[in-house]
Amino acid sequence: MTALLRAPRHRVSPRARLMWQVAALVEGAVAIGVLLLVDLAVDQVDLPWWGVVAAVAAVLAWVAVVPQWRYAVHRWEVTETAVHTQSGWWAQEQRIAPLSRIQTVDRAEGAVARVFGLATVTVTTASAAGALEIDGLDRARAQDLVAELTLKADAVEGDAT
Amino acid sequence: MTDGGPVPAAPDDWQRLDPRMLLVHPVRETVRFLPVLLGLLVAGTASGARGWQLLGVLVPVALGLLRYLTTSYRISGGRVELRRGLLERHVLSTPVDRVRTVDLTAPPVHRLLGLVTVRVGTGTASTSEDEQLDLDGLPVERARRLREELLRASPAAGTGTATDGYDGAPDAGARPPVLTFDPAWARFAPLTSTGVVITAGLLGGGAQLLDALGGLRRLDASSWADRAAGVPVLLAGAGALLALAVSTSVLAVGGYLVANWGFTLGHHDRSWHLRRGLLTTRETSLDDARLAGVTLGEPLGLRATGGGRLAAIVTGLGDGQESSSVLVPPAPRPVVEATARAVLGAAGPVDVPLRRHGPAATRRRWTRALGPALLVAAACLALATRSTWWLLPALAAPLVAGALAADRARSLGHALSEGYVVSRSGSLYRRRDVLSVGAVIGWNVRATWFQRRAGLVTLVATTAGGRQSVAVLDVPVADAVALAARATPDLVEPFLYDRPATGRSAQWPTSTPSSRT
Repeated sequence: MTALLRAPRHRVSPRARLMWQVAALVEGAVAIGVLLLVDLAVDQVDLPWWGVVAAVAAVLAWVAVVPQWRYAVHRWEVTETAVHTQSGWWAQEQRIAPLSRIQTVDRAEGAVARVFGLATVTVTTASAAGALEIDGLDRARAQDLVAELTLKADAVEGDAT
Repeated sequence: MTDGGPVPAAPDDWQRLDPRMLLVHPVRETVRFLPVLLGLLVAGTASGARGWQLLGVLVPVALGLLRYLTTSYRISGGRVELRRGLLERHVLSTPVDRVRTVDLTAPPVHRLLGLVTVRVGTGTASTSEDEQLDLDGLPVERARRLREELLRASPAAGTGTATDGYDGAPDAGARPPVLTFDPAWARFAPLTSTGVVITAGLLGGGAQLLDALGGLRRLDASSWADRAAGVPVLLAGAGALLALAVSTSVLAVGGYLVANWGFTLGHHDRSWHLRRGLLTTRETSLDDARLAGVTLGEPLGLRATGGGRLAAIVTGLGDGQESSSVLVPPAPRPVVEATARAVLGAAGPVDVPLRRHGPAATRRRWTRALGPALLVAAACLALATRSTWWLLPALAAPLVAGALAADRARSLGHALSEGYVVSRSGSLYRRRDVLSVGAVIGWNVRATWFQRRAGLVTLVATTAGGRQSVAVLDVPVADAVALAARATPDLVEPFLYDRPATGRSAQWPTSTPSSRT
């Protein structure tokens, strides 16, 4: 048997790339800001100019590469029986959980995500190790997905442990 | 033990706990107020006033009486309710069908009076003592009847996660226990981490004591040498180490006996019952339907001496109840294995040879162990110019790491046997996790870039009990998918495809073991 797991069917919203880039840029800017502040405020720390350049280059490289990589990896799918997600970039992870074991369905919109009209859907099971998260979904799509999952999870009896 | 106490005529009424608690409460309150009482005693004697000392006796007694009078419980309308408190009334209430565990605990004073504390476990996430449903002080017989009532009413035994494996051993009335304690097992106690913890505690405490007595500097080596006149330093050191080892061993054995004396594990009424304790006895029941599997633990010390231990993976227990899942304390390996077979109702998961994870996984163990060790060795070599003693760790680090890597690689393995997923890994703490297929509530397949290059993944079966998951470490992709698909075909098969992917990055995992030979 040489079967492998296929990737889930749907990509997340293409706007997610831009959102991740903006988020990474903001985080990088804050990090460099802190670095410069420390450099100015503390006498013992003397940052060479090429250190700052290297930090800026690292942030820019990160912004250029990681969100694209993430977008290529992030996928999701909901069938009649299960939820299937794929996420990550360097470390990638596929998660599968049966609809019958779903305990909660959660939709969250962070500050940055709201600007881009995106949302994150998190599906939890009775296991602390088994939460499935779909990041960067279109807001309307996320609402539909939550409704669909809630309906399907409702149809199954038992306490899902 | 004494009689079962008065049987309540109308079980719907609020009932008091056992009146013998009137003897227990004052003792407890006295202990709690001990500092105040001592203060009162001193103050009373100093001022010459009589009567203060009397107050010191009366207050605890009155408090105990109040506690007894204000606490009551009832089981009615399908709910267990506990009412307590004088100024701040608490009424705790839980539906009977939410009851997951009923533990009976008897500290020494309780045992003397034939009482036990009944803790009704509902798997709540709350850790506050105030929110625990403890019926503190019922006669033993009544507590046991209550436990049977509560567990019978719980629906867990009927539906839910039960699969074939659980009911492997049919009930035939009162059968002999599966496991009875043998005091000789205490020889394994010094080899567990408990022994190490005690040693560390002793060393830490000793160092602090020395510090308080004037610091280590005063313990001048020359003065010691004078006193020990003629005894070689090495011999003295060895003697000190030996004394330390002996004392910690004695402590570990003592702790083991106190905790596990009279350990028995038996099965009746569709649940496993275990009892243990020398001074404080504990009785725990694990519902068959909540027993999702077992973990066979073999820490290095136990493994080297032919021992092991067994814990249950129980679903739906709160975090604070980890300890109740011990099935066998450190004991000889055959005992542990036999118990595991009996609990699982299947021999396969314990005995079946495991499928190995292959050369790529072995290579990964070696690089992960040797990498840091070589760094340490390099650092030590750099320091060796100052003192040749640094050569010792520089040589030892890679050797230790190599031994660890070889052992970790040898440990890796997995299997699917008689409805159980089996996974083994680790060296210093090697474990064989056995999880019922019915208790698997999802799969995570994780791989870093390095793992993808080597064609490996870490397969994680998530579950609602124990450590929340069972991981199969660094298993070849095809094996991982095959394991998941055979364990839960309905769940995984819709997501399978047969051909290996050809270059499309989205069709992860794309790398196959053949891409790196």
